[in-house]
Amino acid sequence: MTQAVLALQHINKQFGHGHTAVTALTDANFEVSAGQFVAIIGPSGSGKSTFLTIAAGLQTPTKGQVLLNGTELAAQSEKARLAYRFNEIGFILQSSNLIPFLNVTEQLKLVDKMAKRPFQKDRAAQLLKELALSEVATAYPSELSGGERQRVAIVRALYNDPSVILADEPTASLDTPRSIDVVERLANEAHQHQKAIVMVTHDQRLIGNCDVVYQIEDGVMTRQRG
Amino acid sequence: MYLGLKEMCHEKLRYTLLSGVLLLIALVVFMLAGLANGLSNGNRQAVDAWQARIVYLNKNANQTMSASQLKLADQKKLSGKQIAPLASLSGTLRTTNNHLKTTASAFGTSRTSFLMPKLVSGHQINGKNQVLISADLKAAGYKLGQKVRIGTTKQTVKIVGTYGKSTYMIAPTLYTDIATMNRLKGAPITSGDQQTVNGFVTKESSFKNAKHGDLEKLSIATFINKLPGYSAEQLTLNTMIYFLFAIALAIIGIFMFVLTLQKQPLFGVLKVQGIGTGHILAALLTQSIAMALIGIVLGLGITVGLAQIMPAGLPFVVNWPQFGLYSLALLAASVVGALLSWRTVAKIDPAVAIG
Ligand SMILES: Nc1ncnc2c1ncn2[C@@H]1O[C@H](COP(=O)(O)OP(=O)(O)O)[C@@H](O)[C@H]1O
Ligand SMILES: [Mg+2]
Repeated sequence: MTQAVLALQHINKQFGHGHTAVTALTDANFEVSAGQFVAIIGPSGSGKSTFLTIAAGLQTPTKGQVLLNGTELAAQSEKARLAYRFNEIGFILQSSNLIPFLNVTEQLKLVDKMAKRPFQKDRAAQLLKELALSEVATAYPSELSGGERQRVAIVRALYNDPSVILADEPTASLDTPRSIDVVERLANEAHQHQKAIVMVTHDQRLIGNCDVVYQIEDGVMTRQRG
Repeated sequence: MYLGLKEMCHEKLRYTLLSGVLLLIALVVFMLAGLANGLSNGNRQAVDAWQARIVYLNKNANQTMSASQLKLADQKKLSGKQIAPLASLSGTLRTTNNHLKTTASAFGTSRTSFLMPKLVSGHQINGKNQVLISADLKAAGYKLGQKVRIGTTKQTVKIVGTYGKSTYMIAPTLYTDIATMNRLKGAPITSGDQQTVNGFVTKESSFKNAKHGDLEKLSIATFINKLPGYSAEQLTLNTMIYFLFAIALAIIGIFMFVLTLQKQPLFGVLKVQGIGTGHILAALLTQSIAMALIGIVLGLGITVGLAQIMPAGLPFVVNWPQFGLYSLALLAASVVGALLSWRTVAKIDPAVAIG
């Protein structure tokens, strides 16, 4: 088996101390390889977002380790984690992923500015075409529909060519047909571009395209399929 | 840079208003500075023209020329080059027919002294009861060859030469010799070295020995600061200017802080995407510097424009090095103001953006 791009081992996460302590994750184990589209499904409050923030290095686990391409995240400096997040992780949030005062193309230009390289015009055009956004390349987020906004978020996440894409309920603000469309596109990107994509959702109907499904309930994670 | 400028372009109204506030502050700073310069210039222009370094006055005069009395003979207690006796009189200059009346500062010094101004027209003083007048008095209507009186005596003097702009204690100057000055003052002795003078002005000099009687040595800077009202005026205006720097800092600081609080969720999203505190602060700095620059440049433009159309009676002097310095101070105030949001930006937890 190929090495996992992202692996989380024996993760525990507790908020607070004493009798007010909340255990968000208990001994969670997880891995995803390049080209895999993985879903994490669970009800609200089950620990899905906590899991993603730990995977992204935004929070440190109380116990356990996060390995990205075999290197442990906790051992890195804060600065290295920021660079790791910028270079290796693409994030798609429920909503408000986009910067309100940048148009669609400028959202991508910003990534290049931060990476201190010239704007990758062709790459931008190709990704926008792939996600059927060429028409709205100069529109501002407020002028886009919810589905378009989430697709722009996908383009933005893919644009920097990260090894992993983490999507936290990317369809939460969309109706069912649009949700299915967005999820299909995510699956497509994983398989076509050999990306490791992790999607968190509470919607059972959206996991048909997933290669692996993890179930999470009250902080306990179990591998369901794949 | 990119983030900061793009946001300004998108939120034009918000940032135009804030630039406008900074413009008003810059304008008031430059106007006050111009007026302070004008007043300062009106007080000291003649003194600056002397290009002297040391003044000797009577030590009981509280470092004020008009209160100082010395004798011409006291010059013997000093050694050095270019030592000029100086007598001063502040009084009303008027033509013999009383058609023109002007408050003027009159100076008397030896005819060949380095204090005598360079003439624009007429000739140097070469006889009794002759005076030279400044361009300001010429502009007021006084002419070469005119007979005038100064102060309260009946003595008349003749204008024989004119020189450039020169004021002292906010009044235009005129120059004459020591004896004429003493006649104008109605002094009992009007010749020889027992005549009274107010002080000695020199470029390079020292006391010959420790026995220098009533003489006190002042630097020209001290002399100027002791001009009646001078330091109080400058202190008042400069204090107002310094307060304005603090106000600029506070305004930028508060605005940027409020905007930062408002944009916390957005900054959280940026952090999730690996765009850290440094980049966000750079955007805030870009914005405050851009707004300060807009305000300063427009403020300077308007100030210089207003200076052209100001009435001549309003003393106003544009001093570019000083305006440059004040511009830098305003710029620094806005940088510091933006940096006040540093902690808030640094504390934004990207994990909060997810959930
Ligand atoms: N920063 C925090 N402090 C305290 N409790 C938290 C914090 N973040 C999450 N939790 C708790 O951890 C549990 C899991 O939360 P979360 O990961 O957001 O769930 P989900 O994303 O599945 O809805 C919840 O009980 C929540 O209240
Ligand atoms: Mg959540």
